[in-house]
Amino acid sequence: MIKHLKIIDYALTSLGRRKYKSLAIITAFTVVVSALASILLFSRALQTEAAYILDSAPDLIVQRTVGGRHDLIPLEYSEKIKKIPGIGTVSERYWGYYYDPLTRANYTILGTDGNETPLELLEGRLPAAAGECAVGAGVAAIKRTGAGGELILVDSSNTGVLYEVVGVFRADSSLLTNDLILLPNEVVVDFFGYPPGMATDVAVQVYNKNELQTAAAKVKRLLPDSRPITKAEIVRTYEMVFNWRSGMMMTVFSAAVIAFCILAWDKATGISADEKQEIGILKAIGWDTSEVLALKFWEGLIISLTSFLLGTLAGYLHIFVFNAFLLAPVIKGWSVVFPDFHLTPHLDPYLVFTLAFLTVTPYVASTVIPAWKAAITDPETIMRG
Amino acid sequence: MDKAYISARNVRKVYNPGKPDEMVALHDISVDIPRGGMTILKGPSGSGKTSLLSAIACMSRPTEGRILIEGRDVVKLPERFLTDVRRSTFGFVFQQFHLIRNLSVRDNILLPLYPTAVMPSAMKKKSVEIMARFSLAGKENLKVKNLSGGEQQRVAIARALINDPKVIVADEPTAHLDRKLAAEFMDMLTSLCAEGGP
Repeated sequence: MIKHLKIIDYALTSLGRRKYKSLAIITAFTVVVSALASILLFSRALQTEAAYILDSAPDLIVQRTVGGRHDLIPLEYSEKIKKIPGIGTVSERYWGYYYDPLTRANYTILGTDGNETPLELLEGRLPAAAGECAVGAGVAAIKRTGAGGELILVDSSNTGVLYEVVGVFRADSSLLTNDLILLPNEVVVDFFGYPPGMATDVAVQVYNKNELQTAAAKVKRLLPDSRPITKAEIVRTYEMVFNWRSGMMMTVFSAAVIAFCILAWDKATGISADEKQEIGILKAIGWDTSEVLALKFWEGLIISLTSFLLGTLAGYLHIFVFNAFLLAPVIKGWSVVFPDFHLTPHLDPYLVFTLAFLTVTPYVASTVIPAWKAAITDPETIMRG
Repeated sequence: MDKAYISARNVRKVYNPGKPDEMVALHDISVDIPRGGMTILKGPSGSGKTSLLSAIACMSRPTEGRILIEGRDVVKLPERFLTDVRRSTFGFVFQQFHLIRNLSVRDNILLPLYPTAVMPSAMKKKSVEIMARFSLAGKENLKVKNLSGGEQQRVAIARALINDPKVIVADEPTAHLDRKLAAEFMDMLTSLCAEGGP
């Protein structure tokens, strides 16, 4: 034990005497790890957010399409859907996107019938009367309002309408409510100027979740101009948008991986003449091959673990404290995230372990393997060059 | 003098065997090195002095022949045991000093003790004693690259002695020293021998 502590002590001394080189490696490695960590944490946080959203999502959303375009759905459609065997509750939803030129942000206006919602209220209550609204934390922040405050929105007749903010939402997922403005159903209908007897879409719950595809097919057969969207399809959409395997995220991720591979390859292929001679000296004065390898192992571990911890911390701060300012533009096209959003801080141990395994292990290996090649040679041969 | 402490028997050393640049450095060398004395190897440049010292001191294995230390053949010992023999028996002073240039005087001297069970407090005590003995006190934190040739030589000797070796192997130790320093070094070795070894 004492022997290994002393070897660690020497490894620290050894890194200290090459401090500029060590610092340069740690800096480069930290940047690469923070890029990897940012991407993984970002995609995982978005997936978590998506999972929260899907938790409260209906089993089936039925939209009406006209010429392939999403259009309002007649209320009698929901009556027809209710009569399909196996269908549970059916409820019409009234919602729409609202662009606010003042704050240059998109908000989601959603109707409520005043019943209980799965969302938690941070403060206040749900809107119960015309002239009342509840807003997400992002809207409250960007519009500089709060419970008891006011909110002015311009409706479909181009008239500014004053609403009293009676509640500010808090949800496990900030993405879920961040851009949300909740109004009573009848107010939403008036606000968007919907014709009577029409809703935006219909939310359907199915008794047997295994029969979801069958229920969707039945709806499609009964209402040919409808478009039933199952929860699984929503999940797929979210994955396509948020999953790290896709598009821009993959590009950034690949660049970070390539940078890391170059770093590791450079390390693995080259051991300097000075390092070789030092290994020869250590062996000549009585160090065993395994002790030389232990020294190189600790050197590699100290560098890579420091970089991993700093990189992961930087990635965490970037995503959860600085709101992923470098990555958010990649998904800014996704309208619901137009207002500034804060991802819910979440550190998955599996993700951290994966990141550690993918960064620390190859680096330590790339430090130890070339040293091993030198360490198994006779010290005399190494020192003769 | 006692019987031979180290014996080399029919030692042959070939570098790069079977390759175009094959070179025979030692050919059928036998030598006995007695206990408690100073043995000097003399020969022209390229005659194989360093190769023989390396083989005797377990830093390289001869291609053929035997090296006996206290009657025990060490040539075929596994690497781990050979290291033990090297660590417990020999202290080395190299022609080029082979110090780690950007490491401090103290750390260079203590290098052989790092992979041992010697406690750090004991290491510190030993380093203080040995630095005082070789007039290096006050220079423990200096990097060896900033020392004069003579001082570097003393650091190399201090490092060779820190493990209390039974044999000091010095390969052309005065080659890089002026006459005065060379004489001092030989006096130092003589006094070590007179003390009965370190």
